[in-house]
Amino acid sequence: MFLALKEMSRAKTRFGLLVAAIALLVFLILFQQSLQNGLITGFVGAIRNQNAPVLVYSVDGQRVIQGSIITPDLEAEVRDVDGLGTVGRLGQGTFTATSTTSSGDSLDATILGYELGDDGQGLGAPSELVDGRYPSGELEAVGSTGGDDAFAVGDTVVLQPGGFEIEIVGVADDIQLNVSPTLFVSYSTWSDAVQSVNPDAGEPLPNVMVAAPAEGVTADQLVTDINDRSLDLDALTRDDAASETPGVAQVQQSFQLIFLLYGLVVPCVTGLFFLIVTLQKADALTLLRAIGAPAKRLVASLLIQVVLMIGGGLVIGTALYFPLTVTGLGGLELRFETGAVLFWSILLLTLGVASSLVAARRVLRIDPIEATTGAGVGA
Amino acid sequence: MKLALKELRRRPGRFATATVILTLIAVLLMFLGSLLDGLIASSTGAIRAQDADAIVYSASAQASFQRSRIEPDIRSAVESVDGVDEVGGLGVVQLGARVPGNGPRDLANVALFGYELAPDGVPEPPADGEAYADEVLKADGVEEGMTIEIGPARTPVDVIGFVSDTSFNGQGGLWASEATWRSTLAENRPDAQLADGVWQALVVRGDVEPGAIDSATDGATDSYTVDGAVNAIPGVSEQQGTFNQIIGVTIAVALVVIGLFFALITVERVGLYGVLKALGAKSSTIFGGLLVQAVVVTLIAASVAGALVVLLDVVIPPGSIPIAVSIGSIVSSAALLLLAAVIGCSFSLRRVLKVDPASAIG
Repeated sequence: MFLALKEMSRAKTRFGLLVAAIALLVFLILFQQSLQNGLITGFVGAIRNQNAPVLVYSVDGQRVIQGSIITPDLEAEVRDVDGLGTVGRLGQGTFTATSTTSSGDSLDATILGYELGDDGQGLGAPSELVDGRYPSGELEAVGSTGGDDAFAVGDTVVLQPGGFEIEIVGVADDIQLNVSPTLFVSYSTWSDAVQSVNPDAGEPLPNVMVAAPAEGVTADQLVTDINDRSLDLDALTRDDAASETPGVAQVQQSFQLIFLLYGLVVPCVTGLFFLIVTLQKADALTLLRAIGAPAKRLVASLLIQVVLMIGGGLVIGTALYFPLTVTGLGGLELRFETGAVLFWSILLLTLGVASSLVAARRVLRIDPIEATTGAGVGA
Repeated sequence: MKLALKELRRRPGRFATATVILTLIAVLLMFLGSLLDGLIASSTGAIRAQDADAIVYSASAQASFQRSRIEPDIRSAVESVDGVDEVGGLGVVQLGARVPGNGPRDLANVALFGYELAPDGVPEPPADGEAYADEVLKADGVEEGMTIEIGPARTPVDVIGFVSDTSFNGQGGLWASEATWRSTLAENRPDAQLADGVWQALVVRGDVEPGAIDSATDGATDSYTVDGAVNAIPGVSEQQGTFNQIIGVTIAVALVVIGLFFALITVERVGLYGVLKALGAKSSTIFGGLLVQAVVVTLIAASVAGALVVLLDVVIPPGSIPIAVSIGSIVSSAALLLLAAVIGCSFSLRRVLKVDPASAIG
């Protein structure tokens, strides 16, 4: 322990550079982990955190809500499926808007219209509110929190052009769609909003049908029954609808590849560093062995340095990452991912220690007799 | 310098680990760069292809085609702006297309454009019911001479040829006449249909600034240069900013790794450098040797990484990770890495300068 710390204090630049490299890598990994989760939540939070267990798209929509159109014929097909409990319409559009919180600046707002039901919690409503209440009538909305354009109860959103006004009566976390501020309104409010910005628009058709299975029927069974009914219908469970939204899988695959590469760089850098340092200390280590220092003490000293270096890098990297999770990134809400910090800390420590075993093997191979010949571990 | 190259040739093992690490970092840089290029290319091709001096949206559209409406009177105002030579309407509808031979649920994502002024690489508007398809749609089985059915209304469109790099929002471009676009829009997206004469955007050619157009329309329009319109597409500048930050920090990591590696190598050879200096070698010669080694190691790493990224591009199935590997992005990543290598290596300069020739005699 004493040797390990003494050496580190005497070669601050050398060990400092290693800690800096590891810290930057840890920062990049954690930042990108939050970015990935923030992007996916921003993309499909509205799907994942609404209360309908099944969403029915038209095949033409390619699993994009705004791309899907449910014609009257398709709607009739859905309503006629055995095993269907309740069903409702869901419409979606993207609008230019201003809100009382955006200080007059325009924002891109996504509006989802669902059939409110008696209590505002009809199929398609946000699963949970963090403040306020569900809409009870026209021109009321549940707004999304998070990002630069988080809504608050009492805000008024004005659509442009046309000046159509919607009041925020409740807010919910993680209900964004397309990484934009999102409003859940009644189906008729959505329909009026569409026509308010485009006087040429015909009667909007629902984009998606939201459904719940009858008692004794599972969501998976209902999905199968609907898909068997028509080749033009594409029913998905809520989780599948979120994960199979175009772009989500690509985002995950891209980040997994990036994480793999970063995860390889950290142990390589650590292993290389300690191997070179061990080679440089060859003569001193041989001498220490010759005067009676046990090999396990030298290996322990090496491992202590590895753990301290990686630990230092993890602490600094996490400290660099934390402020980003407070400020966010534009419209994206980045969260401090405690699970990710723990996962990567354990993984990188394990890989780092494993990579230093090459250097440890060199230390164990030292023959004290070499002190009289000068061969050392470098031989 | 000869000594440095000789060492690299005779003791390649000494540099192997650093080369592997740099190769990994180079793969990361090139992959990130290609991913950014792929994302941007698939989102912006249709705008980049416009042969225009300005692209005009309505004021509240936020540069979104779907939210933009240009009425005929606004178009007249734009046409009368000094310096404007030509004005053409442009509109798009994004839908799924049924391709003959594909399964009933296996649709191609298309962005069908109606246009009056032909973009670069796209012929003049075809006859009604026909379209030029972007070649990315070949991966979905689209062929010349084929009739594809668009949207839930199954609007038939004959593919009469292919164009390249005209995708929009990740969907393959289809370039059709005004009438084809209007009928496809009205049949499939009644909520988005537009009256005759109303366009989503205008393409303007001439000696004119976008600001002059907006002034002439009393702020009813929001005009951009082509580059401005590309950057104004929702998400594009955010993607570029985020990726560039990640690439920047990755280069910083490369710089630190190279600095660390050559600092360690320098420490290892202090005695040897003392002897070389005692024999008359200058500090600049010794440091030059280190630089040569750093450059050679980086070039090898960049070359291997370039080959790996090209291989990755071949192996990754179309439609999964949207990467666009180009020589330009590989060369620019290699150049950045070389710069990092030179800067990182210069951390060792101080140590080389401090070597005392007298140390050679103990």
